[in-house]
Amino acid sequence: MNVWQQLANGVIMGHAYALIAIGWTLLLGAARLVNFGHGQMYMLGAFMAWWATKATGMPYYAAIPVAVIAGAVLGAVMQRAMLRLTLQQNLVSLMIVTLGFGQIIEGTAGLAFGVKPRMIASPLNETNLHWGPVLLTAQDVAVVVVTIAMFILLRFVMNRGLAGSWVRMVAEDPRLTQLAGVNVAQVYLGIFAFEGAAVALAATLVAPRTPIITSMGFDEVIMTFVVVVLGGVGSVAGSYVAGLALGVFSAFFGALVAPAYTTAAAFLVMIPIMVLRPGGLASGGGPSR
Amino acid sequence: MIRPLAWVALIVGGYFLPPLLGGATLIYNTLVVIAIFAVMAYGQDIVLSDLGEVSLAHTAFFATGAYAAGILAVEYGWGAWATLAASCAAALVLAVILGLITLRAREFAFSLVTYAANVVCYTICYNWNALGGSDGFVGVPPLDLSVPGLRLTALSNKDLWPYAYGLLVLTLYFVSRFRRSKLGHAALMVHMNAPLATMSGLDPGKVRLLVFMVSAPLTALGGWLYAYQRAYVGPDLFETYFLVLMLTAVVLIGRRVLSGPLIGISVLMVQKSYLSFGAYFDKIVLGVVLVLVLCVFPGGVSGVLAAGWRRVRA
Repeated sequence: MNVWQQLANGVIMGHAYALIAIGWTLLLGAARLVNFGHGQMYMLGAFMAWWATKATGMPYYAAIPVAVIAGAVLGAVMQRAMLRLTLQQNLVSLMIVTLGFGQIIEGTAGLAFGVKPRMIASPLNETNLHWGPVLLTAQDVAVVVVTIAMFILLRFVMNRGLAGSWVRMVAEDPRLTQLAGVNVAQVYLGIFAFEGAAVALAATLVAPRTPIITSMGFDEVIMTFVVVVLGGVGSVAGSYVAGLALGVFSAFFGALVAPAYTTAAAFLVMIPIMVLRPGGLASGGGPSR
Repeated sequence: MIRPLAWVALIVGGYFLPPLLGGATLIYNTLVVIAIFAVMAYGQDIVLSDLGEVSLAHTAFFATGAYAAGILAVEYGWGAWATLAASCAAALVLAVILGLITLRAREFAFSLVTYAANVVCYTICYNWNALGGSDGFVGVPPLDLSVPGLRLTALSNKDLWPYAYGLLVLTLYFVSRFRRSKLGHAALMVHMNAPLATMSGLDPGKVRLLVFMVSAPLTALGGWLYAYQRAYVGPDLFETYFLVLMLTAVVLIGRRVLSGPLIGISVLMVQKSYLSFGAYFDKIVLGVVLVLVLCVFPGGVSGVLAAGWRRVRA
């Protein structure tokens, strides 16, 4: 086994996990929402990028903003439909609704894009880089760089910006925030638009590394569940570290034990953590109803 | 006196539904599948309506019931009564493990852990050859519930109807009894006001665990019969489709309505059998129904009807 190569694979995979999870981290931290349509939103982001390059012939770099804008619009539309439930903090119904949205997105994408596996043509994927015993592509480097940039940006906005303070207020107590004169509905809309845009951005960068199919939704983002949970609710730095750790764990577990059981192993790691500190997860940050 | 008689009439009438609808093969197929999926949905109904949690592990319970039946019947030649007991027992064991793990988890933590459990079960079934791997088990023998002196076999969906219908009626009876039982009341109390429940001397953790243990074999029974109905068990049983199906069936009519999941499943299956434009279209229909009901009519159809009735009387 080439240890350095596996370590590099793990680091890249970890950044990919963290980037796919970033929108959900904010969503869970600020709105205490679990979005079970996250995977399908990822799939749609990837297919928007593929469609943009294929149908209009635009270059890969121009397709990225197309997918990101589409993702933001989708997130905002979803949140608009769920607004009443969000303001009521009806978390059980919200979880089910996001499952429903996932089905709608998957069905629509199936009708629109067909069943064939596709490949997003990214020039970065063609460029191989050798670094000692390690072989990687420019696409891998892009994933790592953009992930780090996104996490620094999110952390900066959350800690310094006015929007960040609104999000933290909503996370603390939506009703009180409303009384303080902040339009809570707009904040939720913004959080969801960010979630949609972020997962679409992740898709445009991560998805070109493998073929894409419309049914991939859930499988591709399974690991984000673990990232979000391990990182702690809404903790930006926490989910970055969790993503990285999980990536390295997956790479070595896959190489040393069995690749097929990597997901199961990651979940088995997660379960005791959920059991040991469920209070910290379920009640952290958000209002106690 | 009138009420029990009306129930008996309804139950007997329901049994003759397929011939009354013309008795075509598609009628039998649809109605058998409705009965099976309704039994599956009632397991989820108990958790969602009475406990107020979303369990994503119920697809795993459904698959557990089916796998237990499939493996034991195909590989070991067990009879249907034995596989019936094994299906319930397997689901119960899984429910105890999961229930203990999620004892203190609520809301999204509960849903995430149950989802994780589902993924772990799926991965194991998909990759482990002893459990059929990606191929599953083909050629589950026809249902044979014969007892000494009485031959009870089902070769086709038409033969299967009495058993599927019987299982459905028993399930309905069981759920209605559950809602009037001590545990049913306790579950509702824990759901509505956990601190009050604790002050009344209930242990919320224990109640949740027990309800989970009641609901799992119910869903597994649906899986058990499904294995015989389609003569095949495989990893596709873990698909999100089944999860969304049972959740939609429960919320469509309204929570805590006894006939709700049955009517919900019937509507969805009739659409699938008679008004389908392909699998993608069915997915969109399911999703749209789910989103529309919860976002626009949170009380479901029964809530809309109740509001309409109040307006008429006012």
